[in-house]
Amino acid sequence: MERKGRFLRYISGEVKIPAILFLATLCACQRVPEYPVPAQRPVFDASKIATARVINMDDPGATSRFVRDISPELSSSWRWGFKKPAVKIRVRVERQVKYIIDFTLPEITFKDTGPVTIAFTVNDRVLDTVRYAQAGYQHFEKPVPVEWIHVGQDAIVGAEIDKLWVSKDDGKAFGFIISRIGLN
Amino acid sequence: MLAAWAAMFGAALTVAGCFAAGVLALRWSGAKLDRVERVPLAFLLGAGCLHLAVFAVMAARIAYKPVWWILLGGLIVTACVLKQPNHAEAQRTRRAADWTLAALFAVIFAAFTVMYVVNAWAPETSADGAGYHLGVLAQYLRARGFVPMPTNMYASLGQGVEMVYAPAFALGKHSAAALVHVAFAITLGLAIFAYGRRIGKPWVGAAAATIVYVSPVVGKDATTAYIDVATGAIVFAAFYWLQIWDEQRNPRLLAIAGFMAGYAFAAKYTMFVMVLYALLFVAWKTRRVRTVAIFAAGAVLTCAPWLIKNWIFMHDPLAPFATRTFPSPYIHTLAVEDWAEWLRRYDIPNLWSLPLEDTVRGRWTQGIAGPIFLLAPLGLLALRDRIGRRVLLLGAVLLATYFGNIGTRFLIPCLPFFALAMALAVQKWKPALAAMVAVQAIASWPPVILAYANQYVWRLDDFPYQAALGIASREEYLRTHLFGYERAKMIESQVAPQDKILDLAGLEESYTSRQVIAPFPGALNNTLMDVLDMVQQEEWQVRRAFVFRVPDQRTQHIRVVQTAQGKKLEEWNVHELRFYSRGVEVPRSSAWRIRAWPNPWEIQYAFDNSDATRWRSWQTGQPGMFIEVNFGDVEEVDEIRMFSSIDYHWDIRFEVQTGSAGKWTKVTDSFEETPAKPRGYMPRAATYELYAHGIRYILVDDAHRLADAFFDNPEGWGIELVARAASTSLYRILP
Repeated sequence: MERKGRFLRYISGEVKIPAILFLATLCACQRVPEYPVPAQRPVFDASKIATARVINMDDPGATSRFVRDISPELSSSWRWGFKKPAVKIRVRVERQVKYIIDFTLPEITFKDTGPVTIAFTVNDRVLDTVRYAQAGYQHFEKPVPVEWIHVGQDAIVGAEIDKLWVSKDDGKAFGFIISRIGLN
Repeated sequence: MLAAWAAMFGAALTVAGCFAAGVLALRWSGAKLDRVERVPLAFLLGAGCLHLAVFAVMAARIAYKPVWWILLGGLIVTACVLKQPNHAEAQRTRRAADWTLAALFAVIFAAFTVMYVVNAWAPETSADGAGYHLGVLAQYLRARGFVPMPTNMYASLGQGVEMVYAPAFALGKHSAAALVHVAFAITLGLAIFAYGRRIGKPWVGAAAATIVYVSPVVGKDATTAYIDVATGAIVFAAFYWLQIWDEQRNPRLLAIAGFMAGYAFAAKYTMFVMVLYALLFVAWKTRRVRTVAIFAAGAVLTCAPWLIKNWIFMHDPLAPFATRTFPSPYIHTLAVEDWAEWLRRYDIPNLWSLPLEDTVRGRWTQGIAGPIFLLAPLGLLALRDRIGRRVLLLGAVLLATYFGNIGTRFLIPCLPFFALAMALAVQKWKPALAAMVAVQAIASWPPVILAYANQYVWRLDDFPYQAALGIASREEYLRTHLFGYERAKMIESQVAPQDKILDLAGLEESYTSRQVIAPFPGALNNTLMDVLDMVQQEEWQVRRAFVFRVPDQRTQHIRVVQTAQGKKLEEWNVHELRFYSRGVEVPRSSAWRIRAWPNPWEIQYAFDNSDATRWRSWQTGQPGMFIEVNFGDVEEVDEIRMFSSIDYHWDIRFEVQTGSAGKWTKVTDSFEETPAKPRGYMPRAATYELYAHGIRYILVDDAHRLADAFFDNPEGWGIELVARAASTSLYRILP
């Protein structure tokens, strides 16, 4: 204790504080570390990536892709489409894509509306128009001209039915039942 | 029902433990206190002692339930058994009773206390409380003590208050911690009241106490597991002990004042000013080194453990705020500086509106102190009074730190001092005192607040007595009041305990036991987000190459030095650094050694062959920053290509040097900048990188900027949807 006191006596107050601060700062000093070259990462190509996607109506989060006229309420694996149902699909790779839709014209509506005509659209351009003379499950697919869509942008994929069925119970108007729709 | 009473029991036992520890410390102190001030001062001093004991338990990694029982039980039993010495002073003031005023204050205090206790007792739903305050604590308790948390810098902030929450949380879960916080609020009110009595102005104390206690921001904060009201109470206790020491001049009281000032720092870094203020006060009053040393010793006792913990875990005693002096792999300097700058602005369009914002609006700064604080300038009239000058000076000192984070709750430590100053200013007109209290109480009553404040102001908005008492389901309350609760449940059911989750949904982490990595609070977190965001932000990708031609260099060491000075967020970043000889890339070899400054720990990102990653200086560009390669042997190099982004397009300059340590020779400082594009498919490369860092899942809110991209293209990203809850998707990253 006495030796320590004697030692400190030879250090003036003016020196002590800067010395302590200097020593404290030294604690922050460190040598720049060096590293080896890490494992080289693979380069991923886009050839296996799907161009776009078809949205199943029971996909989790499917509603976030709806643009218009699709019921937010999910019934099993389908939803009601109204006059001009449409979804947005992000086109990811420049490649030929097809318009795809699986839908149903229910007996209950068909017996009132009779045959209906549906126009299938991409970015509000009519890809095709089909007249359906029978109720039941339907499938439609057709290549989309490449100039209609743009990589990195949403394509609005939709359909438009000419006649709506109006429920006698609540007066609501329905088009057809959609199971899946999109581009692939 | 059981959970509700467990919460109350955990809180009551912890509060009793604090009080018992305080009683024992008071016994040692020899302080002469009257019975009113004894209660709050004992509790707050005891909280400081208990926090140290809990720190020791955590450091020893023995945080088991029986340890809490023994610790708290032991304190309570010891305090009960030991007879208290009769140090009590005669009651300070007993003026002619003004029963009307007393009744007014008592009714207000009681009504707000019932409101506070019920809200705190209900399940915890606050963002930061259920988030990191209790989230970090929950991780400690699972690990039985302190563990490094390099991906959560909030774990590096002082946790002096959370340590007191720890036993309560361990025994009674979330609400127990919030109830302990209410106890701090009540003791703050009592302490202000007692201080008024001590200075012979009980109505000043009563009015100031009530004004602070009913303040909307105090009420909201105190009923959650936040720490601001507790910090305010600790600061006030430090001030109080300093005043007692000034009167009684007992060295032990000085040590206690230092202890409490240090505890204020341990609770919140910004309260270091309390230590400085008190240190100067003691030095000015005594002009003796010994007294200053006694005070400092007390302060060091409570400060030092936290500094040491951070130094060991984070290599930075003041993490995350001293990264320039203590750089570490865990914190990015620029990220923290950018965050700190935001905290000074909060996106408020006009900073001159702060007084209105903090008192009656609350649109931007999350909470209001109440309209009566618009009269704070009235407190300047208290300058004519010695006590008034003291409280105003300390209030101003504390206010200075507020501008580092302008959230209203950061004003809470100042409020008692400004309230005392205002009350002192009008002390001679009791009707004015009563009017001030009445106006503040009415304006702070929850249903009234919306009559004048912003509709989104942070406030109490419910009286959830059924959930509090366990009459209604607490689980259901959480489902309906805490959006993230369902998400936490989903994670618990879908993710294995060892798997890490990148959280893009703002999960309240205290409700999950899984390892959640948020986007911001850590260096790795920033890097992972950089990788993901880069996929969508074209200017963040490889968009240019700096080409350096260095004819016929035969060298073992080479480095690229940045020589320009940037501004603010203008930094240097490198996706890949490649060397060429006669048009052919020099193959990277295991013999190479690479270094960089600053941010040396992430330099491998510039040599990993991935355009989805990049080394970033994470500091504003400045001359002398470098990347250095030691080839291990002499290599021929005639060209260097440095691939970079264009997100900050500033006048960057470089110099290529060869040589070795201390003897670097400039080869060239000219280069050509050419356009470049990233190689490969970025989304998959990004999730590959996440996987390589141990991330197995991504939790993403539907509103997040990446949600649509994940949903649209899961195959491209190499992820698969596992589950959904509360507008949130949980994706698994495919190996």
